[in-house]
Amino acid sequence: MSEPVLSVEDLRVVFHTERETIHAVDGVSFDIREGETVGLVGESGSGKSVTARSILGLVESPGAIEEGAIRYRGVDLTEGRWDDYRGDIAIVFQDPSSSLNPVYTVGNQIKEALRIHQGLRGREATERAIELLEDVGIPDAARRVGEYPHQLSGGMQQRAVIAVALACDPDLLVCDEPTTALDVTIQAQILDLLEELQREQGLSILFITHDMGVIEDATDRVNVIYAGEIVERAPTERLFAAPAHPYSRALLESIPGRTPPDQRLPAIDGEVPTPTGPAESCRFAPRCPDAFGDCSRVHPEHVTVGEDCSAACLLHSPDHEGGEST
Amino acid sequence: MARRTEARRSESTVLPTGSPALVWGAVAVLLVALQAGALGTFLFGLLADGVGVVAAVGPLEPVVGWLVGVLDGAQSAARGVPTLLSREVIPNAGYWNGQRWVGTFLGLEPALAWAIRVVAVYAYSFLVAGWAVLGYRLYRREYRTANWSPRDDMIDRFRSHGWGLFGLVVVFMFVVMVVFAPALGPTTVDKNMRNSYSNEIQYYDEEAGAVETIVVGEANRASQSTGDNSRVLPMQYDDFGRFHPFGTLPTGRDLFTFIAAGSRISLIIGLLAVGLSATLATSLGLISAYYKGKVDLGSVLVSDAVMAMPQLLLLIMLTAVLSDTWVADVYSGGFVLALIFAFTAWTYMWRSLRGPALQVSGRQWVDAARSFGQRPLTVMRRHMLPYITGYLLIYGSMTLGGAIISIAGLSYLGLGVAPPTPEWGRAIQLGQEYVNTGSWHISLIPGVLITLVVTGFNALGDGIRDAIDPRSDAASEGGAGRGGGA
Repeated sequence: MSEPVLSVEDLRVVFHTERETIHAVDGVSFDIREGETVGLVGESGSGKSVTARSILGLVESPGAIEEGAIRYRGVDLTEGRWDDYRGDIAIVFQDPSSSLNPVYTVGNQIKEALRIHQGLRGREATERAIELLEDVGIPDAARRVGEYPHQLSGGMQQRAVIAVALACDPDLLVCDEPTTALDVTIQAQILDLLEELQREQGLSILFITHDMGVIEDATDRVNVIYAGEIVERAPTERLFAAPAHPYSRALLESIPGRTPPDQRLPAIDGEVPTPTGPAESCRFAPRCPDAFGDCSRVHPEHVTVGEDCSAACLLHSPDHEGGEST
Repeated sequence: MARRTEARRSESTVLPTGSPALVWGAVAVLLVALQAGALGTFLFGLLADGVGVVAAVGPLEPVVGWLVGVLDGAQSAARGVPTLLSREVIPNAGYWNGQRWVGTFLGLEPALAWAIRVVAVYAYSFLVAGWAVLGYRLYRREYRTANWSPRDDMIDRFRSHGWGLFGLVVVFMFVVMVVFAPALGPTTVDKNMRNSYSNEIQYYDEEAGAVETIVVGEANRASQSTGDNSRVLPMQYDDFGRFHPFGTLPTGRDLFTFIAAGSRISLIIGLLAVGLSATLATSLGLISAYYKGKVDLGSVLVSDAVMAMPQLLLLIMLTAVLSDTWVADVYSGGFVLALIFAFTAWTYMWRSLRGPALQVSGRQWVDAARSFGQRPLTVMRRHMLPYITGYLLIYGSMTLGGAIISIAGLSYLGLGVAPPTPEWGRAIQLGQEYVNTGSWHISLIPGVLITLVVTGFNALGDGIRDAIDPRSDAASEGGAGRGGGA
């Protein structure tokens, strides 16, 4: 196995507010290998976006990376090294209409990135910007390059955002819910585009979403995140075939297509708790259909449950075999 | 693309011609050429004044002195260029020789000649403004590639905002008065006030039935407005055939000339103060919104500390402390005033800008720019500044009104701008004793004008605010309506 492009090790991000300290990301570790798409899936408020922002060094006061390392090709970025690798990691945000600055033309914003990372300006930059717009599948790119964001549709805007990201010539693309704000048909187009770009340019992609359907479609491996912790990591096929963690199972069950039409769609009751202290128990226990006594006393560690997959659940822990019977 | 523009050009809707830009440009050049002399004089004079401010700084002194010399030279050269709207072309100062007026424009009586000049000045100014608006519409309809930009909506909203337009017109007329101050007055500050004893005028002595010559200072002494018996009211002639649109001061000087010259100092101090405080407020606002956390907290503390100082007392104290230093002499003490205003006023502006700045810093495009490695300063300038310039305009306009009131208030108290230089507040103070007598006009006219101009600036600010943010309600925002200063 080659060295991973990015490895996040025991990342802890805390937000200090006046009343309490919120552990938004609490010991997250995962790897992304060359040319691979890794998914990070979880509910709203589970710490997905904070993880993405941490990777790019965009966590702002009152938040701070408290512990852990983010290694890009072996270099720990958390030691203030982000600026050395700007452009090697690019991000695509959720809402394309707000990630483009409405007062500049699309071409202008692509050229801004081109100027920083490829030193192109003037006519050369314009030509490259048009090429990039063509690469992301925008028709009539020569005209679109001079248009303002509001003149493009949502799907086009997201393509333009991806073009801006590609202008940095990145090795790793972090996609923070890139399709959530889009129609389903456009969603599929964007996913195809990302796949194509990955194949052509050998990009590694971190794909963040709450949509299990997108995960199944787009990723090679998945990390399931819950309340700031990764509860299961597995190859995508394996996760969908045999989820090991009760939370992953519950997420899969709540995909609409998987339930027969005449049955009520199963949902997970309650909400993701806001982690305000160090974990002393399983954070999913209050909502877990399979919880037993020890779950509210012991914080589960990751246990290997198969090749390249692990789950943080007492059900799989040999020390708590009593759990298997419930 | 080029061909498309070509096609659109020929069917221009704004100007019925094949190349509207060329026609527009030609007329614009013509309009400027009419006033080239005055424009040059004003610009070079302002530059010389501005460079003169630095004159006292040690090692640079010879260089600065040389520069001032060059600029002064340029100014006097520009003075030689003929100007259409000047007192030389449309003179109003003349005398009655028993049969007709001598020396006035077309032999008309001085009041009419003066009125023609004033109307011509304002007509010219509105023409220039109208031409500029036409130019903008031309650009927007026929030359800009995008057919809509977010700013268009703001301008369209402002165009239908009556109160804001009222403010714009008042402010525009005030600015025209500032720009054309020397041409508007029936006489000049130099002739009528500064060197009144070295200038002579001719007048028709009815008793003797002949044209006599008198020193201006003497004529002034005989035209004083000091109560019921001796007065020259607005729109009256004095005994020497001089027309006084706003009457005379207690010293016999012309009030209109005084006010026109005073408008200049008010606006220049105001602009300088607002410019400085806006620069300070914007940079601090952007920095604290970008870095947040401790930097933000620090600037809150600093601004709170500055706000806690009583502005008026600080002004009085600093004017007294600095009265003997070289800064106090720059621009008759106006420069110090501007500095003090800037130092105290930026806090209010920063408070108002901080909200919008924080809002913008949370937008995703700022994160996007940071994520691809844009430098912090560039992010602030390119991606945050455009969103707060609108607010800058609002608060700038309103603070300017406040600054004008404060400057007038200080001169009324006898502080601030040093006496020989005309200032509106001092006109009020000079007329104070005669308010309840026949010479009521001395205090009333400058008072009404100050009120009008400050209302105008506030109305303009309101208009811009409603144009930028249609959801904002003028009544609900307390901090923004701050008009008064000292």
